[in-house]
Parts: sequence; C-alpha cells; structure tokens
Amino acid sequence: MSLVLAADYRVPDFDHWWAALTAGLPRLPGLGAHHVVVYRSLADASRVFVTIGFSERPPVDALLRSPLMFSWFDSAGVDELPPMFAGEAVEKLDLDLLPGAAADIAAAGAVFVATIAPVGRRDGVARLRASVHAAVTRLADSGVRRFWIYRALDDQAEVMILQEIATERQAEQWIRHPDAAAGFMAEAGVGAYPPLFVGRLVQALEVPGT
Amino acid sequence: MYICLCLGVTTGTVQQAIDAGARSTRQVAEACGAGSICGRCGHTIRTMIEAAAPDPPVSKPARLRRRWGRS
Repeated sequence: MSLVLAADYRVPDFDHWWAALTAGLPRLPGLGAHHVVVYRSLADASRVFVTIGFSERPPVDALLRSPLMFSWFDSAGVDELPPMFAGEAVEKLDLDLLPGAAADIAAAGAVFVATIAPVGRRDGVARLRASVHAAVTRLADSGVRRFWIYRALDDQAEVMILQEIATERQAEQWIRHPDAAAGFMAEAGVGAYPPLFVGRLVQALEVPGT
Repeated sequence: MYICLCLGVTTGTVQQAIDAGARSTRQVAEACGAGSICGRCGHTIRTMIEAAAPDPPVSKPARLRRRWGRS
C-alpha cells in the first residue's frame, strides 16, 4: 500500500529552501520515501506545494513526528508547520491519452491546480469519481490533462486532487468557470484547508538509493 | 489532514474540540493535545477557531438601538 504526503506552505527564501531540500534528499530513504514533487505558485513565488511518495505505508504518526520531518522544515526556515495531507491514490485519469486530445502542447506550459477539500460524508469520494468519469470529454476539452484523486487516510471524506491543465489561460478559465465535476474547488480555503494552489511543476525528484 | 505533527492530531479531532467549545489554542491543546508539544501548528488551530466563530452581530442603526433599548 502506497502513501502520499502533501503540504502547501510558504518558504521565506525559495532558493535557500530548494538547496536544503535537495541536500536533504539522501536522508529520505530512511523514511521510506521514493520521490518528492515540488510545485511553485504562479501568484506567490514563496508558496510551494510539495508531495512525497512512499512505496510502502509506514505508520503515519511516526512518520510525521520523526526528527527528519522536523529538520526538513527547520533547515528551510519554516517556523509554522503546515497541515499535512496523508492519503492514497484512488483515481488517476490521464486525459491527454483520449482519442483526439491535443498531445502537441508542450508539457512545460502546463499548470497544476491542487485542492485539498472535504467532499461530503456519504460516499463523497465515490460520487466524485463517478462525476469525473462522466465528464472526461468535457474535462479534456477544457484543457484538463490529468485528474488525480487521493483519499485521506484519516478522513474518508477528505481528498487531495491534482489537476494538470494544458495552459495558464485554460487554467484561469477552468477555475473561473469549473465544470460541475470540479465543484470541490469551491471548498478549498475553508478552515484548515489551504486555498486553491495554482502553480507549475518545479521538479519531480527521485530519492537517491530507492 | 494532520494538524499537529508531534501527536498526529487530525483536522477532525481539532474540529471536535472546537465544536465542543474550545475557543483558544490553549483550550484546544487541553481538549485533544494538538499544539501542546512544540506549538508550531498554533496558526492553523487559530484559523480553525476563527472559521468556526459566528459572524459578529451587525450593529443596528442608532435610531433602532434607542427604540429597541427601551423594551
């Protein structure tokens, strides 16, 4: 069983943080991590969205309170610890593989929209998956190329959704006028949930030695 | 989401403490432990407390305040 941790936070100095992150990678196999993916906000250069993938599922509590996790934030000068999403992938739709999809758009221009939000207590995740499956053509027509859903381990009604959208213009349009299947985006930013994250991929880093 | 990394306290547990009446980070810490070790999740707990707070009452115009004040 795999595990993904994710956090949305601000770093005081991106370059310093990036140097600390890459320098700390060789220590991550000790936690069981095999990759780290970093996104940077388009609107706020100090805001990052980071996911860490684990091939096994270690005890989440022990993972979060490990000294390595704290030193990760300490070395980057992050004083206020962000909430951490811990979950597993339940849906990975790659819509650019649909027949007729525009495959010639450079991936470099892609925009990532990350949402962590509740989707309703009763079968919320199942209903979300069904509505997304019913809307794949509309999603692809709107420029959505990937639609990945992760379900939280601690709350079956909480999800993290990563959407890859072909261009910044299409992402703006999608956020302003989302399809009914993407209504969850309106739930972002309430209480502990971070506001919608809109950014670009900085790098997907493989943890050395894994 | 996990709010307190030290003790592995989740959003749901913190929300339960707030729903039960906790109105400060100290009261949340007493209720469920979140924020009681390093305290570095305090800002998130405060955000949740503020989100749960009822909207402040809209002040009535002076004329209505006087009128209702007599009764």
